[in-house]
Amino acid sequence: MSETASEQPRQQLKLMSRSTYLKEAALKNLFLLCATMAVAGVVLIFLFVGWRGWPVFAEVGLGRFLGGREWLPTEGLFGILPLLVGSLVVTLGALALGAPLAIGAAVFLSEIAPPRVRAVVRPAVELLAGVPSVVYGFFGLLVIRPVVADLTGGLGFGPLTAWLILAIMIVPTIATLTEDALGSVPDGIREASYAMGATTWQTIWRVLLPAAKIGIIDAVILGMGRAIGETMAVLMVVGNAPVFFRGLGKPISTLTSQIVMDMPYASGTHRTALFGLAIILFLISMGLVALVRGLSRLREESR
Amino acid sequence: MHRGVAAVIGAALLLLLAGCNGNGQHAADQVIVTGSTTVQPIAEVAKEGFERTHAGVHVLVSGVGSSAGIENVVAGTSDIGTSSRDLKGDELEYGLVDTPIAYDAIAVIVNPSNPVDGLTKEQVKAIFEGRITNWKEVGGPDLEIGVVNRDEASGTREAFSKIVLDKERFDPTAVILPGTGQVRSVVAQAPSAIGYISLGFVTPEVKALAIDGVEPSEEAVVEGRYPVSRVLHFFTKGEPKGLVKEFIDHVLSPEVQEKVVRDAGFIPVTVKGIER
Repeated sequence: MSETASEQPRQQLKLMSRSTYLKEAALKNLFLLCATMAVAGVVLIFLFVGWRGWPVFAEVGLGRFLGGREWLPTEGLFGILPLLVGSLVVTLGALALGAPLAIGAAVFLSEIAPPRVRAVVRPAVELLAGVPSVVYGFFGLLVIRPVVADLTGGLGFGPLTAWLILAIMIVPTIATLTEDALGSVPDGIREASYAMGATTWQTIWRVLLPAAKIGIIDAVILGMGRAIGETMAVLMVVGNAPVFFRGLGKPISTLTSQIVMDMPYASGTHRTALFGLAIILFLISMGLVALVRGLSRLREESR
Repeated sequence: MHRGVAAVIGAALLLLLAGCNGNGQHAADQVIVTGSTTVQPIAEVAKEGFERTHAGVHVLVSGVGSSAGIENVVAGTSDIGTSSRDLKGDELEYGLVDTPIAYDAIAVIVNPSNPVDGLTKEQVKAIFEGRITNWKEVGGPDLEIGVVNRDEASGTREAFSKIVLDKERFDPTAVILPGTGQVRSVVAQAPSAIGYISLGFVTPEVKALAIDGVEPSEEAVVEGRYPVSRVLHFFTKGEPKGLVKEFIDHVLSPEVQEKVVRDAGFIPVTVKGIER
């Protein structure tokens, strides 16, 4: 069986003219080159960041770097724990607000909206992805921050403002991927559900969302990657005080915003420590991507 | 001790540079300017204009810190030592000649709706260190103070830290913003906020506080009455002459003073009421 399957393409190639064969081969190599470039980019960046950041583990010490509770570069303290906590707080909160919003929007687009409404809503959601993050940052700084300040007291810099901004920013990522996941649920399943007398809501909640579950989790994880890596918008609203989370309206700092704040003047160990932060961010992203890959494999196996 | 070593190394490097450049007759066509990093942007831009009008002349500018700049000019390895502080201690004994080239003043700003019109320097220090946290402690309403600080790359923060905080630690929980414009727009919006920006960048959307009873104004700064300010100096060993004098005259010319100095957020020395 497997022999004939591998024979087949070779036979097809023989039927082509020589020029078609060359064109096909050239294209194949061109695409291979494109894929290699992407991989090479990632590998080069990882090597560069690793090469510049690695010494921090020797200079500062693994324990004092990962477990240190104070980030005070001028006094030689490079503890990233407050920044790590800050990044997690900001990311998880943004997901808690943004993911339901995005999944709801995707369900509406995929299952409920009449075509004319869909033609307006879908481009609007996609447009959100194209807005530069500095614009989100300014919007957060000048419009959302004062509202949060009224709610929490203080100046309104802190996790809550960052959550609101990031929640909007991750909607396009999660919504488009969730819509794809819902779209890949075969129509037969919908029809079967309706034929059993299920209402629209019952069909969505009991049949479609469970069927698209793994695809939706994928979407949320990729949204998480977007949130944890976001820099400019967060920098402008989070307050950038490298201290532990103390409340919704109190300034904190994140891994990404601290890198941007310190990079212009950092030198020596401080600069190395910033590359160390980049290594940590890189590892977190890699972990998230690995998680998505693992889940996709799970989805294929369950079919 | 470290400063001394750094100055010697810096001087040696500069001598090397000078030696490589222009067949050993460097004294004739070079002006070496070292010192304060605050003064550096002014010196850099002035250098460009100066070299355009003086063909074949090189101005070497390097930011090594005020103390090292003063040591270099005392040791004779620099023609001009730039400094963002006055001379102190031993430095007074070497007969250095002081040419003020600009004033650097920082305004402490609050929201226009804030009833507080002035603070003492000590109160400002306590607020930015996090020891005073409510406006009612300084005669204002019962409202938590929202401290807005600048990032460490900021020259304004460095000056503020030196002049007001005596290099004590800022309140680590304060908001940090990466630009003068952002500090100003947040203070303009938030009734509880307090921040600091260069005096040259104050607009009517914020209120600049009187410090120790002195309203911040260019006159008050030039007359030396406003406390959150400092003079930026060029020090020379003896009266400047030749190319060095020409370079200093260039820096003091209206074109540099009114454009370069103003653009950098400093106050020109040509502002009226000068002699102090």
